[in-house]
Amino acid sequence: TLFRSHAVTDRWFQAVLPVQRAADMLLVLSDDQRQHLAFLSRVEPSVVGEFGRIAVEFLRRGSNPKIYEGAARKLNVSSETIQHGVEGLAYLLTESSKLMISEVDFQDSVLVLGFSEELYKLLLQLYLDNRKEIRRILNELSPELPHYHNMEWRLDVQLASRSLRQQIEPTVTLKLHLQENGEPCTEVLQTDPATLLHLIQQLEQAVGEMKTNHCRRIVRNIK
Amino acid sequence: ALPICQARPKRLGTMRFRFCGDLDCPDWVLAEISTLAKISSVKLKLICAQVLKDLLGEGIDYEKILKLTADARFESGDVKATVAVLSFILSSAAKHNVDSESLSSELQQLGLPKEHAAGLCRSYEDKQSPLQDRLRDCSLRLMRLDSVSWRVDYTLSSSLLAQVNEPLIHLKLNLRERNGAVPQPVALTVSAEKFRILLTELKQAQEMMNSLN
Repeated sequence: TLFRSHAVTDRWFQAVLPVQRAADMLLVLSDDQRQHLAFLSRVEPSVVGEFGRIAVEFLRRGSNPKIYEGAARKLNVSSETIQHGVEGLAYLLTESSKLMISEVDFQDSVLVLGFSEELYKLLLQLYLDNRKEIRRILNELSPELPHYHNMEWRLDVQLASRSLRQQIEPTVTLKLHLQENGEPCTEVLQTDPATLLHLIQQLEQAVGEMKTNHCRRIVRNIK
Repeated sequence: ALPICQARPKRLGTMRFRFCGDLDCPDWVLAEISTLAKISSVKLKLICAQVLKDLLGEGIDYEKILKLTADARFESGDVKATVAVLSFILSSAAKHNVDSESLSSELQQLGLPKEHAAGLCRSYEDKQSPLQDRLRDCSLRLMRLDSVSWRVDYTLSSSLLAQVNEPLIHLKLNLRERNGAVPQPVALTVSAEKFRILLTELKQAQEMMNSLN
C-alpha cells in the first residue's frame, strides 16, 4: 500500500516538514562499540568488505556462529572479536540507515574512530550501498496489526431453535483469515443481511474517500 | 434457445457473463484468454484435466503442464497465468452452475477460439458434478462433529453420600475445525435426567432436518 513504501514516506516528510530536518545528526557510539569497531582498522580493506557482507546478512537472517568461527581462524583472532566487530558494524549501519543521515554526518560520526581515509570511504560506501535494503528490513520490524489475507462466507437461514420454531432468519457467517507477524489467525463473525448492507455501504464510502479533494491533494504531493 | 450472456452495451468491458456471476469479466482473465489461444486445443484440454485434478484436491502435475506448454515457448509467468486463468474459469463456472454450452459460448465471446472452447468445456462437463461436490465440501463450516463416543457408568457411592446408585453417561465429542485438522476432544458427563432432555431435543431437531431433506 501507499504508506508502506519508505521512499514515498521519506519524500512526504521532506516535502511537508522541511524545517524539522535535523541539521547535525550525529551518531553516538559507546566506548564498547568504538572498541569493537576498532578491530576493523587492523585488517585488510577487502576483509572490511567481507565484514560488511556478514553484517548485512546478520540483519537479514540473524547471527551465524559458524561464519564467525571460520573468520576467526583465518584472521587468527578469537571468534568473540569477530562477533563484536560484526555486531558493531551492524549497529553502525542500522543506526545510520534508520536516521537516514547524510554522507557528511556519517563521516563526522565515524571520525571519532580514528580510521584511515581509505577505511572511511569503504564504510561510507557500505552505508550507501546497503541503506535501502536495511531500511526495508527495519520497516518490517515495526509492530503490526493483523492484516487481511482472505475471507470465506456463507449464507444460512435459521428455521428453528430450541426456544422458537417456525422462524425465517437469514444469517451471513464470515470467516476472516488474517496474518499477524507472519502467523495466520482467524476471526468468525455473523451478521444479518441489513447490517451486511450497511457494512458494504460504509466500506464503499471508505474506498470513495480516496477520490475526495483532500486525499487527492496529499497523494499528489507524495508522488 | 440456449441461454447466452446478457449483453448490455456492446463493448466487451461492460458485458455480463454468467460464469463470472453475472458480473463483468475481470481484466486479467480477458488478458490471459489470448495466452490460452497460443496452445493447441488438444494440449489445452490436457492442461484442463490437470487443473481439474488440482481443483478436486488430487494434486497437480506441474511437470506435465510444463511439457505441454513447451511448444508454445511459454515463460514461467505464462505457465502460471495459464493455470490461474483455467482455475478461475472452471471453478467460477461450477460456482455459478453454468452449463458447458453456455460456458463455451461465453468463452468464445471473450475471444477464445471455437476448438479451444469446445475442448475446455468438454473437460468441464465431465467433471462439473464432482467439482461442485468438492466446492460444497470446502464451503465454510465452523467446528464440525467428527465422532461421538459414550459410556454408561453406575455411581455406587461418593465422599458425600454413601449410597448414590445412579447412572451417569460419559460423552466424548471429537470436534474438527476444518478438513485435515487434528480433531479436538470435548469430554463431558451427563446425568440420566439431563440426558433424557438432551435426547428429546436432539430428536426434535432431527425431525425438522428430515422434513427439509
